[in-house]
Amino acid sequence: MRWVTALSLVALLSVLVVGTLGLFPRDPVEGWEEATSAYGARNAVAAIVLGARLWDTLMEVLVYAMAMLGVRMGMSTLPEFRAPRPRVAETPLLLKAADILIGVVFVFSLYLAASGHLGPGGGFPAGAILGSGLLLLALAKGADRLAEELYEPTLEGLEYGAVAVLLLIGAMTLLLGVRGQIPLVAANLFIGLEVAIGAWVVLHRFTTHRGEV
Amino acid sequence: MEGLTAGLMAVALAGLGLWTLVHRRNVIWKLLGLNVASGGSILFLVAVAHRPDGRPPILGLGPGPATDPLPQALVLTAIVIHFATLALSLVYVVFLTERRHTQDVPKLERRRSRR
Repeated sequence: MRWVTALSLVALLSVLVVGTLGLFPRDPVEGWEEATSAYGARNAVAAIVLGARLWDTLMEVLVYAMAMLGVRMGMSTLPEFRAPRPRVAETPLLLKAADILIGVVFVFSLYLAASGHLGPGGGFPAGAILGSGLLLLALAKGADRLAEELYEPTLEGLEYGAVAVLLLIGAMTLLLGVRGQIPLVAANLFIGLEVAIGAWVVLHRFTTHRGEV
Repeated sequence: MEGLTAGLMAVALAGLGLWTLVHRRNVIWKLLGLNVASGGSILFLVAVAHRPDGRPPILGLGPGPATDPLPQALVLTAIVIHFATLALSLVYVVFLTERRHTQDVPKLERRRSRR
């Protein structure tokens, strides 16, 4: 059985390699300037997202919120981790590095969210980077202390508020035809907020129910 | 040429992930293999978007060939969805470990057939 699986995997991969070899070189892209300026954007990726993938992006935000809700509800049915946790290694290097780096991480994620319509970046990577910054803080201070400082019901309200504002922005763009830079920047900022809060929820749930970070 | 190299690397990455998915017996390793394979598919889409001497498809950067914006727009949100589904499936693995006290897939299947 294992040999059959390995052989079929090799066959599938060789088909993929032959297909990849036939795919290149690719034809040059033409006509993207007109399509981009027709949507009032400067980045062609943003124009495609606005023109053809807005429903998709909105539903993707919903999928993310639903998955985070599933993590929250699923973990809350499990008993909390009661045993004494291993103490956080309070190394001065980690504490100092977290203190210095966290501001840089926050500013960088804000920059990525605010400039995502012009270059590489956008709300999703910005939120992921902000979530990794929170992970760094949790490693340095311990997840419990961080959870006391970040009051969770406020965060939940912020997350669902961000989803609601995103749906509102999507409705404005889809139904009223509002276009331009400001809805894009606002959508990116709210997507970043939502993704970062979701990442923190996952981190916090797994630490409270399964032990230390 | 860089696009071809990246495409072949993406196929190799997907193969590595699929082999981990099939070969490993632990559920967590299977999930990680699936995530590596999806990383390969993301890299493949990015490689398809590559053009020789291409610059980002942004207005006002001057003349010249641009990379393909369509695969980049397709791949935009996939990474976060992979993260979300991985977190959700890890919750199910936690449930499975609480109930059956094992993460070994053949053992799990044997116990189910015994009932």
